[in-house]
Amino acid sequence: MSSQRLMGWALRGYVVVFFAYLFLPLLVMAAATFNDSRFPTVTPWDGTTLRWFGELANDRGMWQALTNSLIVAAGVLVVAVPIGIATALFLNTVSSRAKPFLYALILSPLLTPGVIIGISTLIFWRQWGVSGGIFLTVLGQATFIAAYVMLMVTARLQRFDRTMERAALDLGASQWQMFRRILLPYLKPAIYSAAVIAFLQSFENYNTTLFVVGYDTTLTVYIASKVRTGLTPAVNALGLILILVTVLLAIAYEVKRRRETRVPGV
Amino acid sequence: MFRQLRARFGGPLAAAILALLGIWLIVMVTLPQLQMIDYSLRPNLLPAQVGGPEDGWTLANYVTLFNNEIHRAIFFKTLWSSVLVTLLTLAVSYPLAYYLAKLASPRQAALCILLLIIPFWINEILRTYSWFIILAFRGPLNEVLMMLGLIDRPIRFLSGDAGVMVGMVYAYILFMVFPIYNAIESLDDNQVRAARDLGAGTLRTHRRIIIPHAKPGIATGCIMTFMLAAGSYAVPALLGSPGSRWFTQIIYNWFFEGGNWNQGAAYAFLLLVLCIGFMSLVMKLFKVGLGDIAK
Amino acid sequence: MDASVELDRVVMRFGDFTAIEETSLAIASGEFFSFLGPSGCGKTTLLNIVSGFLTPTAGEVRIGGESMAGVSVNRRPTAMIFQNLALFPLMTVFENIEFGLEVRGVDRRTRRATSERLLALVALEGSGPKKVTELSGGQKQRVAIARALAVEPRVLLLDEPLSALDLKLRQHMRVELKAIQRKTGITFIYITHDQGEALNMSDRVAVMSAGRLQQVADPMTLYRSPQTGFVAAFVGENNRLEAKVIDQDGERVRLDGGALGELSGRGTAPTPLANGAAATLYVRPEHLRPVAPGQGLEATIEAVHFEGAWVMLETRLAASGEKLRVQLGHELSRQHLEALQPGRHAHFGFDPEDAVVLPDDGGPALDAATGEVMEDAHV
Repeated sequence: MSSQRLMGWALRGYVVVFFAYLFLPLLVMAAATFNDSRFPTVTPWDGTTLRWFGELANDRGMWQALTNSLIVAAGVLVVAVPIGIATALFLNTVSSRAKPFLYALILSPLLTPGVIIGISTLIFWRQWGVSGGIFLTVLGQATFIAAYVMLMVTARLQRFDRTMERAALDLGASQWQMFRRILLPYLKPAIYSAAVIAFLQSFENYNTTLFVVGYDTTLTVYIASKVRTGLTPAVNALGLILILVTVLLAIAYEVKRRRETRVPGV
Repeated sequence: MFRQLRARFGGPLAAAILALLGIWLIVMVTLPQLQMIDYSLRPNLLPAQVGGPEDGWTLANYVTLFNNEIHRAIFFKTLWSSVLVTLLTLAVSYPLAYYLAKLASPRQAALCILLLIIPFWINEILRTYSWFIILAFRGPLNEVLMMLGLIDRPIRFLSGDAGVMVGMVYAYILFMVFPIYNAIESLDDNQVRAARDLGAGTLRTHRRIIIPHAKPGIATGCIMTFMLAAGSYAVPALLGSPGSRWFTQIIYNWFFEGGNWNQGAAYAFLLLVLCIGFMSLVMKLFKVGLGDIAK
Repeated sequence: MDASVELDRVVMRFGDFTAIEETSLAIASGEFFSFLGPSGCGKTTLLNIVSGFLTPTAGEVRIGGESMAGVSVNRRPTAMIFQNLALFPLMTVFENIEFGLEVRGVDRRTRRATSERLLALVALEGSGPKKVTELSGGQKQRVAIARALAVEPRVLLLDEPLSALDLKLRQHMRVELKAIQRKTGITFIYITHDQGEALNMSDRVAVMSAGRLQQVADPMTLYRSPQTGFVAAFVGENNRLEAKVIDQDGERVRLDGGALGELSGRGTAPTPLANGAAATLYVRPEHLRPVAPGQGLEATIEAVHFEGAWVMLETRLAASGEKLRVQLGHELSRQHLEALQPGRHAHFGFDPEDAVVLPDDGGPALDAATGEVMEDAHV
């Protein structure tokens, strides 16, 4: 066997180990859900139970946090998606000497630690008498999620053939009609993808949320506080449900995305 | 700028685009940051004292860090540990990115990418929490190690920085794999073949052909990972112990336990400067621009 | 319906660069009019000015006698067929064709009736529900035509619409375009760099170079009586012989060809040539004929290309060393054609009626290897 093929096989072995490393922790956590132990663990195994799901269902704090998370995520969609689309359209249209500077500013929320976005949002709104809560959580999260939306919309916009726009105008469409009927339908897949990503980013966000959430605990913050204080396998049950929902979403999204990329875009 | 937008989208839509962009960049991005810096330069005052003689710009909040030996140590610990996390993540990610980009068949690559995305979509807290279970004193890792006879007493993984670093590498690995994967994928296979054909060994091919080509991806991955690691609150809070505090935890304490927002703002700004500094350094070392970072 | 198009002293400048020099031109209602020129000559700019995508720096465009100044693209009575067709990929054929009516608020029933009628016109009945991505190149072409016709334009603007098609389809579509133009009576303004297309379809052709109209004429006139060296070289193929004017009597110009002796041809430039001025005589390869030794121009045959319908000879003149291309048809006997071998000497003559004399304006830049007009250095 040549050294190159040896390297190839070593690499394949590495990939297997890598994916084990990636998924084992999640499996351990899932397994601990069914362990009839007061603490979340798989060793020792004290018998199999489903009671942690029942306990979770009775946790009113959890339901409240879930509601808050959904409200925040919806708010983030409403704020971040239009901003992201507008920014992508802006970058695609405008050429100006100020553009490199603006582009750096637009990217900056992606390169800023989440805690700092949370802190600056909290400080800024204090002078207007707004303290931590759902409103600030939406603003704080949307600040950087808008940049993700922008990146995804831009990726598709760059492949748009602008003669379509000229053709629409030439056929008598107003600029608004052109946008509504030609450009927006073209961007739709990217906008949907961006909305899914934005929703998930919001739902799982912790670092920014921690500073701006006030008393309106979101699910992520709730889980974190549970882990540090009253730790029971009910947290695992919640984790398991979230993982399953996420996996289903991920697969649905991926299937949809692949179906779309098969259709020629232009 | 408005002229170009109006020519393409018409007046109302152009105005809406500029308004949304303006609100975002000014009200959500720039002003809060400026306000934070302003805060960091003012003393912590009672509401009654605001506007009084003591209300003025001062560097006192920054001097605090300089004088507080523990905080200073934690700041540098955070810096070095984040660098270490970045390097570890790079080492773990590069082979996988290379495999995905160049060795895997398209079907295999697509499957692997889906598998990679799934944990990425799962809450950072949950991902970290799963390591909390594994690394626990009476957790499965200790059990397995004892069963194999490698250790005769359980190890307290969760009392030092090791647990935090393992958790961070795990949490941010995808931010490293994807940029590198994208960069390597764009490399023409024939270049690798040509290098091999000219007698270069595996290591040399990587050093001379693949890594130089993947530079923008490596830079992006390192910048993102460092930023996430240095700015992480969840991982050290869950996997760390009081003895292995992270700089973000100090910041949090200034805000919500010390009640000194000005002091907290100064620390937060230092964290931001640290990240910008690291980013500039990497961009300089790798000779890449901002345009290469977000593709 | 008056569908005439007038360009009145139109100028287009981009910064320091003049894309269109002052141009005035009247296109008659219902005319098939082409702009022919190498890429970069300004013909697409001119089309964009008529369609309203560009506002001229000076001058104005009138359609049907009405000034188009201040009339935006979407309000002009024009419709464009784009080079890449620009069909909307997410829409069906019906939706594409009906788009222009939809944005005008035409009701669904009327829209559908119109698109059915147009699909019949372009011979695509039954394709309405298809996605445009399912169509072949030629079918897409027809949908683009139907879509443009749906808005009942007075003027149809065509920007090299056939350039993406293969040769056979291109020739077929030429016939079809011409037929559609006759049926609808719409003014067609056609942009192309392909002289075959321009000469074949057009009522009149404007040859453009470097932002300037060189000549506007019907195809036959353009071919037989070019008015500038650029037109003579760009339209069809021409041999060039340098000479000096002896005198001009009406159309007939006598030339001193130096070592070639006396030559003569028709002076087709707008102004008569001055005696003694430098001039160029243009004679097409197909107008040269073998003549008896002692007459005409003596040349050495350098290469022979058998093209089927004709034979092309590459020769070099014995007296001046200039190149001369000669195209001979099958009206000559087989023996005669076969006798023309590289290295042989032959004599070629032409009827002065078939030769054109133009002032020595330098002509366009020609590619040294192929003798073709190179892209305008203008852009």
